[in-house]
Amino acid sequence: MTAFLRRAAPWLARRAENVAAAMLAAMFAAFLVQIAFRYLVGLPTGWTHELSAMLWVWLVLWGAAFVVSERDEIRFDIVTGAVGPRTRRVMALAASLGLVALYGVSLPAVLDYIAFMKVERTAYLKVRFDVLFSIYGVFVVAAIARHLWLGWRALRGDAPATDATQATSGL
Amino acid sequence: AGSVRAQASANLRFSAVFSEQDIRAEMMKRFGEDAKALGFNLQPYYGGTLFKQGTELVAMQRGNLEMGNIAPQDISNQIPAWSIVTSAYLFRDADHLKRVFDGEVGGQLKKMASDQLGIHILGPTYFGTRQVGLKPKKRIATPADMAGIKLRMPGGDAWQFLGTSLGANPTPMAYAEVYTGLQSGAIDGQDNPLPNVQNMKFYEVHSQIVLTSHLVGFDLLSVSNKVWNAMPADKRAAFQAAADKAIAWSTAEHLKKEGELAEFFKTQGLDVYAPDVKAFRDYAQKRYLASDLAKSWPAGMLDTINAM
Amino acid sequence: MTLASPFSLSIVAITVLALLGLPVGHAMIAGSALYLLLAGQDMGTVAEQLLNGMYTNYVILSVPLFILAAEFMNVGSMTDRLMLFCNALVGRFRGGLAQVNILQSIIFAGMSGSAIADAAGTGRMMQVMMTRGGRYTGSYAAAVTAVSSVIGPIIPPSIPMVLYALVSDASIGFLFLGGVVPGLLMALSQMVIVTITARRKNFPVEEPVALRALPGITWRALPSLMMPVVLLGGIYSGVMTPTEAAAVAAAYALLISAGLYRSVSWRDFYRSIAVSARTSASIGMLIAGALVFNYVITVENIPETVKVLLASWQLSPVGFLLLVNGLLLLLGCVLEGTAILLIVVPVFIPTAQALGIDLVHFGVVVVVNIMLGLITPPYGLLLFIMANISGEPLRDIVRDTLPFLFAMIVALAVITFVPETVLWLPRLFGYKG
Ligand code: NA
Ligand code: NA
Repeated sequence: MTAFLRRAAPWLARRAENVAAAMLAAMFAAFLVQIAFRYLVGLPTGWTHELSAMLWVWLVLWGAAFVVSERDEIRFDIVTGAVGPRTRRVMALAASLGLVALYGVSLPAVLDYIAFMKVERTAYLKVRFDVLFSIYGVFVVAAIARHLWLGWRALRGDAPATDATQATSGL
Repeated sequence: AGSVRAQASANLRFSAVFSEQDIRAEMMKRFGEDAKALGFNLQPYYGGTLFKQGTELVAMQRGNLEMGNIAPQDISNQIPAWSIVTSAYLFRDADHLKRVFDGEVGGQLKKMASDQLGIHILGPTYFGTRQVGLKPKKRIATPADMAGIKLRMPGGDAWQFLGTSLGANPTPMAYAEVYTGLQSGAIDGQDNPLPNVQNMKFYEVHSQIVLTSHLVGFDLLSVSNKVWNAMPADKRAAFQAAADKAIAWSTAEHLKKEGELAEFFKTQGLDVYAPDVKAFRDYAQKRYLASDLAKSWPAGMLDTINAM
Repeated sequence: MTLASPFSLSIVAITVLALLGLPVGHAMIAGSALYLLLAGQDMGTVAEQLLNGMYTNYVILSVPLFILAAEFMNVGSMTDRLMLFCNALVGRFRGGLAQVNILQSIIFAGMSGSAIADAAGTGRMMQVMMTRGGRYTGSYAAAVTAVSSVIGPIIPPSIPMVLYALVSDASIGFLFLGGVVPGLLMALSQMVIVTITARRKNFPVEEPVALRALPGITWRALPSLMMPVVLLGGIYSGVMTPTEAAAVAAAYALLISAGLYRSVSWRDFYRSIAVSARTSASIGMLIAGALVFNYVITVENIPETVKVLLASWQLSPVGFLLLVNGLLLLLGCVLEGTAILLIVVPVFIPTAQALGIDLVHFGVVVVVNIMLGLITPPYGLLLFIMANISGEPLRDIVRDTLPFLFAMIVALAVITFVPETVLWLPRLFGYKG
């Protein structure tokens, strides 16, 4: 079982990345279609913009849930970079516990909000908002699972690595 | 805000898209003063800073806002029958709007909102009648003259349909980008009430304003049923009276401002004139009645409103 | 507001979680959830604010596309050809390669909205060129690349200006125009420092490029040189909105790299998109966290409280700008730029408005400040990246950036106190501010 998971995990990670890349590519294409339709064909479109906005929401939350690695995430490492591995482990455990607790407490209300949004649909493509917003529920559950795993790893003795050059916000 | 919570009076969180400088912010201030005497503490948030445009209704339904100034388009999102009041050339002017909402039709609409959304509608807040502002100098008399004109309309099918019902080629574009869009020629015109044309300086990039008066712009000042139902009858009446007073003041201010602005735009060298409004009205009502939107309208309501 | 109020506790929670090493976006979401919990409010608001904020803000859609554009540029040989062109122009002067580094950044700035992309994309090549045969020390080369990359988002297009437009509702089109002159001023201040140091330290000159070679070199760099013209021309002739320009930038870079220079394989193409998606998701999380936390700030009326407080100090517009500059420069030493832009800057916008400060001017001043934060230790991302690329100790790189930093602060002062440096160009294009 563990051996299977160990082999399946990288495969799943690559597929998750494929999906994120496809979402960005589709966003890119939707924008080009939008400009082309308005200026070459003279037909302004609204659905392209709506599609891009939906893809952006999904790209960020899907990406944060399944694609972005610990190395990619934007964080401060002034303190974590200065302390020894043992302290860093304790800090990582505390951070993970904090996230698990607060995301966990908010989860029922968050799911309630998402479910409530079934009453509205998007303006052009008429996608129900609970469907569109469901990715946030996925994101919260994935974040809790990931930090349970990270916390457990810290407890077992793996200190998280620090590398300040990795985390950029694209400025 | 900590000290606010300590007071005994109940908080009324209110979120709106308009800015703190808007006439309607002054309307809320006046309402807030009267509400204070009734034991309420109005907490206004302007400029869409607390809840984004179009999300206030859900915030009220979920108990995160006690009051809102809700767009009828947002209500029709959840109650399709309400789309009738978002159609072009339905209300003739602010007075007609008020009479309809005070009457039997208004009662019917308010009951739907109360039953299905859990909000009590205090009244329609008029903010000006939408007129067409254009960059090209082409004279507009009938919908046929609008053919091929790239008219910026807010996003969404319902708004785009409104553009079509004027005979134009509706173009969705973010409100903030309209000025540059007009300047660069990405769009030929926009449709907004005159006060917006002044606030956003659209008149600087217009050659003319066609007084089509195609849509009487209003939102619905509302309070959640939770607050409304908890009040005894006399307090409700006083609450409603305070709202009526503030809304009446705001409506009068808007009408005054619209009159002044039409003159002001003329002094700025713009051509300001009325087209053949009857031709526009007939064309638009025909388009609406033939559309899917009209299928959800309550039977006979259009005729009742037209007859008022 | 007491120390045990929900608001204070949520600030403490965010700070502690972030310092413990939790990603900043997650820390803000978690801290805001704590606020709602303690204040007895609907915790579903976290999802409501994040989702609606992300879904309805049209301008943020340009962020992932600008990131994509920078990836496409760097994967192709656009930047190599630019370097040759810059060398032909200014290589022959004393300190030539350092000037090339700056000139290249000015041109790159016209195509890309990201400083990190400039440093990461051209840093390695510049490092090799400048240190070859001991021309410059490694730390000096790294310092010049770091400081010149700062120009990237000041000259349009610009990701931080998009983020500022998001929080201020100022027009992106005019913000972009407003950045042109300040960006050139920043570059000029750097070139002056290079010229002064070059004479003192007797920096090398490059082999002059023969005049007859110039047309060929220019021709090969021309598609890249045309990119700013295509972008700005497209925006101001109405072919596209500033938001759409991001997609056009990416398409243009792809077309040139893949079509003209034939330097992009399918594999490169996929990698560029995948890397951009990854970067977009991590910056998107930061934006998302900021949107949620902004709800807390708004409910608590913080911007209004700051406005009242500053009004009681009776600050003049100049005094206010000085205060903001000082504060942002300090924060830039310890905080991430996007976080400052999305969390701290909105708090000052109502005051700027009340004092009659033009929001386009204010935006450019703020963005320049935040860019300087990328090269101020201890937390300066460009410094980290260049230390990583060059292998030089951070301390030496910091030492070599100091004269530049000084000159750029002087340039910042000019931009701050002479609003015309920012507003002249937008006004030329019809801005009424
Ligand atoms: Na450079
Ligand atoms: Na740029």
